[in-house]
Amino acid sequence: MQFPGQGKPPAGIIFDSAMGSRIDDALAMALLYGLDGKNEARVISVSVSKSNLHSAAFSEVIGRFYAGAVSGAFGAFGRNLPVGMADNGKLTEDSPMLLVPLSKKNAEGQPAYQHGIHTLVDTAEVPALLRNAFTSQVDQNCMVIVTGPATNLAQVLDLPGVKDWITRKVRYLAIVAGNFAGGGPELNVKSDIAAAKKLFAEWPTQIIVTGSEVGQAIRFPAENIEVDFAFAKDHPVADAYRAYQQMPYDAETTAMAAVLSAIRPNEKYFKMSESGTVTITPEGKTNFSASAGGKHQYLIVDPAKKEQVVKAYRELASAKPVVRAPRFRQQKKEEPAKPVTEAKPVAEPKP
Amino acid sequence: MITGKALPRRTFLRGLGTAIALPVLDAMAPAFASQLPGKAPVRMGFVYVPNGMDIRNWNLDYEGKLGKLSRIMQPLEPFKDDITVFGNLTHNNGRALLDGAGDHGRCCGSYLTGVQPKKSFTDIHCGISCDQIVANAIGNQTRFPSLELGMEDARQAGDCDSGYSCAYTNNLAWRSETQPLPPTLDPRVLFERLFGADAGLNPEQKARRNKFRRSILDFVSDDTRKLESNLGPTDKRKLEEYLSSIREIERQLERAEKDNAQINPGMEKPYGVPADFAEHFKLMTDMLTVAMQADLSRVFTFLVTREGTSRSYREIGIADGHHPLTHHQNKPELMEKVSQINTYHVKQFAGWVEKLKSIKEGNSSLLDNSMIVYGAGLTDGNRHNHEDLPTLIAGRGGNYFKPGRRIVVRKETPMSNLFLTMMDRMGVHAEHFGDATGRLNGINLS
Repeated sequence: MQFPGQGKPPAGIIFDSAMGSRIDDALAMALLYGLDGKNEARVISVSVSKSNLHSAAFSEVIGRFYAGAVSGAFGAFGRNLPVGMADNGKLTEDSPMLLVPLSKKNAEGQPAYQHGIHTLVDTAEVPALLRNAFTSQVDQNCMVIVTGPATNLAQVLDLPGVKDWITRKVRYLAIVAGNFAGGGPELNVKSDIAAAKKLFAEWPTQIIVTGSEVGQAIRFPAENIEVDFAFAKDHPVADAYRAYQQMPYDAETTAMAAVLSAIRPNEKYFKMSESGTVTITPEGKTNFSASAGGKHQYLIVDPAKKEQVVKAYRELASAKPVVRAPRFRQQKKEEPAKPVTEAKPVAEPKP
Repeated sequence: MITGKALPRRTFLRGLGTAIALPVLDAMAPAFASQLPGKAPVRMGFVYVPNGMDIRNWNLDYEGKLGKLSRIMQPLEPFKDDITVFGNLTHNNGRALLDGAGDHGRCCGSYLTGVQPKKSFTDIHCGISCDQIVANAIGNQTRFPSLELGMEDARQAGDCDSGYSCAYTNNLAWRSETQPLPPTLDPRVLFERLFGADAGLNPEQKARRNKFRRSILDFVSDDTRKLESNLGPTDKRKLEEYLSSIREIERQLERAEKDNAQINPGMEKPYGVPADFAEHFKLMTDMLTVAMQADLSRVFTFLVTREGTSRSYREIGIADGHHPLTHHQNKPELMEKVSQINTYHVKQFAGWVEKLKSIKEGNSSLLDNSMIVYGAGLTDGNRHNHEDLPTLIAGRGGNYFKPGRRIVVRKETPMSNLFLTMMDRMGVHAEHFGDATGRLNGINLS
């Protein structure tokens, strides 16, 4: 919700992931809420492209962890931010990074993490959710970040009039897709080739692509999970991290790179390719052709910035939830009223 | 003797300045034709109540077959096999979407149009409403393409909510993006529109008719006698009941006018409008029933009271204004009064549902052949939210809906999806409507 007359709010972020398939989706969401807590972004929509209730539920768990506390979206004015879920998602499988935190109990034997997603109707219909999120943003003040298959975004493109909304509201789309270092088909693209093709062909704004080589080159240090996230006895992202693979391991960070570069473009954490066009081969490989008028660019790791990037990942992903009042602009303090003094007699005008 | 000659469906009883349409009679079926009542038209209507609900006492905590109804829906308990209750339907275009305050103006303006009204009280701009899309398509089959009823306020100008024109809060039906259709509030006006033709009389004729008139039925008595002589016993009974219902409406009007004459003249009252809410509601819906029965129109909207209304309900001991009460800030005593008002509204609606159910159309009832949405454009009047709007449908839409259920759809599912589905049922297959993302699956029998 916007408040007229209060200036432009931080950019609204529509975050769509395949939560549960790769641990960096959870890290990326934590990073996103870290930026939200610093008032650099506002999470306005959360959805999953996996047709799996646990995927949606865990996304809500992370939102509630920061909940209300960090984002005006969760719990603002008593309204929970609904989590959208693909009903035609190609990825469906459960994973330990979902099941372990969701089944974790506290000392009282109650679920350590609360969520309200138990059946399909507890999730939101994705095309409406995303379209509605666009409609409530200041022009060119919204960014879409997709860290999973393009399933949901391709679906929303079919809604009448939605491309006009996207053109008007969305600055750019940041997407995790493909590999631009000669690698084979990447999971997100391979999972839903038709959706990726459609998205790259029809999405009306600039697209910044993060290939899997970026996340492979910069890893999230495992030791930080035990140190930086220890402020909370139960931290859903830390629990998911531990459950994803045998500890210790340094996770890939492709999704984190997409979030960080999208919200802090001026920091130039990564180099950018020249402009061009991404196309998808029938096997799901990404090809890039440079062209002056192309709307697509991809991120390139800058070896000189690696340390800086890891530092940002650590600090932002492990940021504590921030208790914050709704985003009302601070009222200017009024000058204290001067005591009323007796009116001076007005001098008689001289004739 | 069977002649094989059927009574035309559009037969009228005529008299001086009067033409009364007839309900569906068996005699209108061709000889040996069966299942005439199965051919009864489907009617689509919308009954709108303002200021949201005390949602705690509206919502049900289960899906599927209707069991115990919530407190506010309790008056509908005897008819729970005839209603479908919905959960999670949303009107995104009722939300602020950068336009700031004015949820009452927006929610009513967007309710049947599915678009965001332009925030202005001089340059109104909305969208064509779903009832009018249907009326445009099938309205030529009835005397009135659509009927617009209300009970409170038909002002069309001025600022009624934070910069939103009264045209948004006081109308449900929109013929075009800039042309709302104001509701008829005065029962007398509605009556004359439906059953009289005073417009064709000069003032002297009108005065003479009023002076000597005991009933509009007197003017059609000759036609009535002629028709009766050609009807079988079942049709005779139907006709008698139908004409009796018209006479009863006349009596109610006479009572209302008599009552109003005794009201303190310091208080302005439109001529012929009952002071009592329940009586007014009944009078309006009685006339609507006759209009539906006689197939004068298949499409109607009924804005029970205007969005943002501060009407009090002294009839049930509530002297506070409705709208101020809904800003209850979770104070239990105020929430209780909101619940009472919400229940009172449903009680009136339930009375009408009972009547519709009692009117037979062949093997089914007038209710069975209708689909009447009862709902609000705000969910909770205190929070001013627009998701999970209180919504139910009475009737089966001509054996289309499978009622007796609560259907919960996925969050953010547009209300426009329901309306698009209802338009389909009326035979009007629009490609798009409002902010619909598709049809609503799972609500029909198929």
